[in-house]
Amino acid sequence: MRDRTFAPGRALVYLVVSLVAAAWLVPLIVVVLNSLRSNEEIAQTSMIGWPQHWAFGNYLAAWSDFCVAQTCAGIRPYMLNSALVTIPATIFSTLLGAVAGYAVSLWRFRGDSWIYGIVTLGIFLPQQMRLLPWTIVLRDTGLMNTLTGLVVIHTIQGLSFTTLFCRNYYVAVPQELIRAARIDGAGFFRIFWRIILPLSPPILVVTVIWQFTHIWNEFLYGVTFTTGQQQPVTAALIALSAAVADIPQHGVQSAAVLIAALPTLLVYLLGGKYFVRGLTAGAVK
Amino acid sequence: MTNAVVTNTGRPGPPEMVRRLPEVLAIWVPLLLSAAHLVSFSLWTIWVSFTPSTLIPVAGWVGLRNYTAVLASRNWQIAFDNLLLFGSAFVLLSLVTGLFLAILLDQRIRGENVLRSIFLYPLAVSFVVTGTVWSWLLNPGLGIEKLVHDLGWTSFKFDWLIDRDMAIWTIVVAAIWQSSGFAMALFLAGLRSVDSDLIKAAQIDGAGPVRMYRRVILPTLWPITVTVIVIQLQFAISTFDLVRALTNGGPGIATQLPALVVYDLMFQRNLLGRGAAAAVLMLLILLAVLLPYAAWRYLQRRRAAHA
Amino acid sequence: MPITTTRRRLLAGSAAALALPAFARAQSAVKPRLTAISQWSAGSDGAAITALGKKFEEKGGVWQHSPVPGFTTEMMNKLRAQIMAGDPPACSQLKGPEIAAWSKIAPTVDLDALVAAAGYEKVVAPDLAKLHKPAGKWIALPLQIYSTNMLFLSKRAMDKAKADKIPVTWADFNDLAEKMKSGGVAFPVANGGTRPDDGQKFEASLAGISPTAYRKAIMDLDKKALEGPEIKAAFAQVRKIADWMDPNVGAQHFSTNLKRFVEGEMGMMIMGGWAQGVLRNAGFKFEDFTIAPGPSDNGKPVFLLNADAFIFWQRKEADLQAGQTLMAQLVMDPAIQTMYSQITGSIPVRTDVDLSGEGWSAGQRLTAAALKDAIASNQAVLSVAHNMAQENGLTAALIDVITEFVKNKTIKPEQAAIRLAEAVESAR
Repeated sequence: MRDRTFAPGRALVYLVVSLVAAAWLVPLIVVVLNSLRSNEEIAQTSMIGWPQHWAFGNYLAAWSDFCVAQTCAGIRPYMLNSALVTIPATIFSTLLGAVAGYAVSLWRFRGDSWIYGIVTLGIFLPQQMRLLPWTIVLRDTGLMNTLTGLVVIHTIQGLSFTTLFCRNYYVAVPQELIRAARIDGAGFFRIFWRIILPLSPPILVVTVIWQFTHIWNEFLYGVTFTTGQQQPVTAALIALSAAVADIPQHGVQSAAVLIAALPTLLVYLLGGKYFVRGLTAGAVK
Repeated sequence: MTNAVVTNTGRPGPPEMVRRLPEVLAIWVPLLLSAAHLVSFSLWTIWVSFTPSTLIPVAGWVGLRNYTAVLASRNWQIAFDNLLLFGSAFVLLSLVTGLFLAILLDQRIRGENVLRSIFLYPLAVSFVVTGTVWSWLLNPGLGIEKLVHDLGWTSFKFDWLIDRDMAIWTIVVAAIWQSSGFAMALFLAGLRSVDSDLIKAAQIDGAGPVRMYRRVILPTLWPITVTVIVIQLQFAISTFDLVRALTNGGPGIATQLPALVVYDLMFQRNLLGRGAAAAVLMLLILLAVLLPYAAWRYLQRRRAAHA
Repeated sequence: MPITTTRRRLLAGSAAALALPAFARAQSAVKPRLTAISQWSAGSDGAAITALGKKFEEKGGVWQHSPVPGFTTEMMNKLRAQIMAGDPPACSQLKGPEIAAWSKIAPTVDLDALVAAAGYEKVVAPDLAKLHKPAGKWIALPLQIYSTNMLFLSKRAMDKAKADKIPVTWADFNDLAEKMKSGGVAFPVANGGTRPDDGQKFEASLAGISPTAYRKAIMDLDKKALEGPEIKAAFAQVRKIADWMDPNVGAQHFSTNLKRFVEGEMGMMIMGGWAQGVLRNAGFKFEDFTIAPGPSDNGKPVFLLNADAFIFWQRKEADLQAGQTLMAQLVMDPAIQTMYSQITGSIPVRTDVDLSGEGWSAGQRLTAAALKDAIASNQAVLSVAHNMAQENGLTAALIDVITEFVKNKTIKPEQAAIRLAEAVESAR
């Protein structure tokens, strides 16, 4: 329990938690091992196995060598594309969501619950359904085949989640704070800047983690709304698995998967503590 | 839910309007853009579902033909049954797993940071990748079953992936692995924010660990549980990449799910009208789930307002 | 540009004479440029189209290929988005009846003059040619051919079965499978379990039993043929094949089994010609296996055609039009088809290419010979598993029935035949 109790119970807790953690790690271990086996070795033995010859070259091939059609630069350029979409879209959707959540929770206005309800319903709208409407929107705005177009899509779609998270967090902010600030003559932005934002790091960490991983791992829009040289890293990963007349490139692909997952894994590792702390601070009301 | 904190009393005069323009823009532009895209995209899909569209959207009217075709297809019927089974099993089990992990991590154990990262990392990896890896692990000829056989226990059987009746459970397993870390984080946050006075009082009363959880701590987690359910439900309904990589709807068509059917009809079979009808049906399922939740929230709000 | 102006086609008799000078004019005026979309991004597919791009550049063109990695669906999503945006690529990968379907949503280029100039029509299998001129005019050009029903035999499994005769009919095939089974081959059939793989098992069975029934039932969707005895017989054969497979394969790709196939734990595989390339790239030797045409009950080779093609979309830009002309000429060029097929392991579309030279494998020569024989005896038919026989919607409905039958052993061949006919009915 919260205080130290007798030892056998704690030993059991440690045993159970390590077993579960070990099980949780199995898929990662399989990928790490495959990233160190050559494509031929995997094809000639099994998808799961211990490397017979350590193929460290997979990482080099994945990072800078393998070809997607005529471009032989590994996943490096695609990582950059993904970053160019993910970072701005994460920042915009988080900031706009924070302002919207703040307005909806602490700055009530006419129609707020209606619009808030509609916006949060967006988390349930399947992505496949939005593909063609977005095509029409991008066509009419001239943003087809631009990274800007993807940033716009992810910002607008991301608002559903960021607004939901932020609103639920700000609801716990004491109303007196705002009232006092109003009496002192502070306006909408001043209160946001001086009072709300300093309170926000925990929830901003949560929304940043959420947005970053979702946008980084997105594939469908990424390949449909870009052309060859701007494709996101998920497209390059799929390219490695989709050749018809070849053995699946499991070795290089596993290495590429691990490299491509580094940014999101880092975000989780660094942000994980704040994730829980941020949620603790009130995002779960 | 809070009550109105700062209500706009009276109509602001023109200079007031000008002064407040930036904030009005900051509030309304993002919200309206978001709401507008959701409403217009949904209406557009509803419109398409009544047209004879195939490769691209075209005007025309076919009445309910797309709906009757979708509802009559085996794919949809299987997908619908699967959604009920998968949705309820996944939400329930991920809730239990998440809570269980959270309680374990809440025991002030060493290495909490590492363990928490381990349970959270699947969320960071794309579903396409995890689906593929799970398809190896769960394949009886490649993964867990083969491993156990090689260790000597040759009668061991774990062949859900190729068993038409059990295959849907492989998706449950992979989905739980992927997302119960999120439930864990939410629950852990909830456990950490339980009022320490409550716990002290219970300890003074001599409550043991089990009673402590059952009577004092878990009841306070109720609001979090609802949030977890909603988020996991969203996950269940939109599960797509994971299934596509893990079973691709097979064996046969045993693990079809509505999101898969929508994508398949719209883009693989090039039957846009039917795909749109399937999407609208999906939205209707969603409403059927969400309306009770909205009603619950409404009642809660009313009660809070009266209190 | 003559190739986009239908009125000029009235001079069809001298079309060849017209096209060439026009092309020369265009080339001197603008630098040919080609925007292209395909799903060929990696492996030998990626290498082949990149080599084609190099040739295009050698001829002075600007090559702008945008690969869309993933399934054909993603490539089509991209194409659809570009068409809806009014900006189709000058040329894109598309195959089978989808060429006809897509040509209705955006204007395509009339390639008749160029095809005539190259004398292409008389060297293309007739059923294949039809697919690329849906309204009577050539709008797309086939690039390479695979057969989806080649029979791969494991040398070691043959040794175990003490057999050296390559099966010709399905009865031979079934005999050999039984012999392998009793000779200690754990699983006589080494196929995988993906949707197209299941489709191939069925199409190879039906076309092998009766190419005429296949043509009528699957290609023409003739109601009577769909209810005919051949369909039931085909499903019965598919059941046998499925029973000889490793039940653990599930929905795995066939390449998962290659090791056991080569080692003789598995015996035979009904697979497209591309499996040669997969075996080679996985580091296995040609001595480890034999290739033969798929079983055919009348003894003459049956060829299930799967062909990749490019469709040409109308563009107003002079440089893109010049690029389309250059691309069309390259695709039809025997030297280019040779280069392409030698990279991917397919065979050329042109039936007049000589495969006796270096760079061709025994399997490719055999495939090409089988195609010639099959065309001569009217036994070259279009693959349904690979979207050549019907549009994607109907194909998927058919494969639904087939894959369910393969995976669910309680379904009787008779029931499956009824479901197949129903699927056609409701998809229409």
